[in-house]
Amino acid sequence: MAKALRAKFQPPLVITLLILGLFVFLPMMSAFEYSIRTPLTGGYGWTHYIWAVTKDDFFHYILRSMWLAGVTVLITLFVLVPTLTWLHLSNSKVRGLIDGLSLLPLVIPVVAFAVGAQISFPEFVQNTVLELPFLYFVLALPYAYRSLDIGLNSIPLKTITEAARSAGANWWRTITAVIVPVIRGSVMATIALTFALSLGEYTLTVLLHWDTFPTWVTNVAQDNILGAIAISMMSLIIPFLILTVITLFVPERSTQGRK
Amino acid sequence: MSSKSLILRNISKRFGNVIALDNFNLEVGVGELVALLGPSGCGKTTALRVVAGLEHQDSGTVLVANENISDVPAHKRNMGMVFQAYSLFPNLTVEENVAFGLQMRKVSKHVRLKKAHELLDLVGLDSQSKRFTHQLSGGQQQRVALARALAFEPEILLLDEPLSALDAQVRVNLREEIRRLQLSLGTTTLFVTHDQEEAMALSDRVGVMNNGVLEQIDTPDTLYNKPATSFVASFVGTMNRIPAQLSDGHVQLFGKKIPVLKNSNESGKVIALVRPESISIKSTESDANAKVLTRLFMGASSNIVCQTKDGTVIQSLRSSAESGDLHPGSAVKLEVTNKEVLISNA
Repeated sequence: MAKALRAKFQPPLVITLLILGLFVFLPMMSAFEYSIRTPLTGGYGWTHYIWAVTKDDFFHYILRSMWLAGVTVLITLFVLVPTLTWLHLSNSKVRGLIDGLSLLPLVIPVVAFAVGAQISFPEFVQNTVLELPFLYFVLALPYAYRSLDIGLNSIPLKTITEAARSAGANWWRTITAVIVPVIRGSVMATIALTFALSLGEYTLTVLLHWDTFPTWVTNVAQDNILGAIAISMMSLIIPFLILTVITLFVPERSTQGRK
Repeated sequence: MSSKSLILRNISKRFGNVIALDNFNLEVGVGELVALLGPSGCGKTTALRVVAGLEHQDSGTVLVANENISDVPAHKRNMGMVFQAYSLFPNLTVEENVAFGLQMRKVSKHVRLKKAHELLDLVGLDSQSKRFTHQLSGGQQQRVALARALAFEPEILLLDEPLSALDAQVRVNLREEIRRLQLSLGTTTLFVTHDQEEAMALSDRVGVMNNGVLEQIDTPDTLYNKPATSFVASFVGTMNRIPAQLSDGHVQLFGKKIPVLKNSNESGKVIALVRPESISIKSTESDANAKVLTRLFMGASSNIVCQTKDGTVIQSLRSSAESGDLHPGSAVKLEVTNKEVLISNA
């Protein structure tokens, strides 16, 4: 038993976990500790959390941000899965170019991006908050693209696609019934990345004069900093819980490589 | 749905500058198993993929039961296909893999699982139906792939070198199983392979391909005994290439005048093509025309490799009992027992 545990927790893994703990969990734990302080009594309590959830706009903005993130995830999957499947199957030289283009959102300043969107989007799109998911999609593109690309690279895509088609599956069924379930891990990672990035996006939203959860938190923070930290903690935990539930509800079928 | 005939008419296909199929014609009768045999890059897999609809020909037509299906997409062609690489869906269990084609045809779950179990029973894997594909051996995976290809009762079964990734023993077992299933279900089958033994053992007829052209299509017997071209002669089985002089439609081989298979009025130096079993060998000191280099014992028969006085290496296949006294260095007299021989240009 001890041997098995030692084998599992080898030095590189332990060091990685320590660094991860130091840089991710320590600030989060500190923020949490700070958010439950009650300066008046000098002790701890849930005062700021209660203050946050009883604020009129809390649920309005968090729900708005969540459905915008959901729409972004749908756009990402609908656009990227067929596109990447085609790029992988066709062995097209365009693939290198598109690989490069997908990185552009990392280097284009968000201000330029916002101005570009204001100029290029038709007015009826600019008038609705639904312009945001399209822009979030572009911002999440470098991560979502790579995540799906790795998934598609790791499977015998051509053979299983042809096997599905010759067994009678059209392209839609081939993608939904075979490819997506086979690269389930990559798809879940793409969903998580895109959802988290969309939920926390601030700069672009402010520049385009929309109000979402992050912009609302910033406004609230000016009156009650401890309350704002409590809200931020909740905005971390709620999506995490949602993604965990999604992962649990999507049945684990792809067990390749595991005996 | 019953099996149907397949006709490929004047199919041409290029990949850039490479001609994969050059005015290719093929007919496969109902319930027949035809193998396409040829070296790598001869176009045999392209022909199969054109039939499956996974590749579209530049010109020509594909007919199934005399109906032109050239523009029908792959998923509507109703053809079962087994691939060279393992192609099972790793997210599905064995029975779900086999039932996949029926699921795509919107057959009810109860019926498709029943059919999947029938097919798995036929390939001897019903007990593995709940397992995932990575838990199976290579041979078992190809069996499941075969069951999947047959489950929706395809009009034509396409086999793209399904045995080439398997061990020798598994290959032999599975090829016998494929033939047994094909005969019992009567499915029209096109089988692509580069392994001549496999093609000869399995098929009703074998088509030998070279450079995108069908050189000859015939029964395995005819192909072996009466090859139409020197390529077929060399590709199918072992062939001795003996330099000879052609005149008046005859060649002189080991002092014996033998008519050539395709009568020719030309004369000059040619290569006579003679099978090892058509070379008789006799131990002698007086009128020897060759000496033994090695004797390869293969059980009931032995392959005796000799060298003639002019340096030509000749193989002779004889029964082991009759050739037991031949040892390296033995002086022997070789003779050609054929009544006719095939020739190629020197």
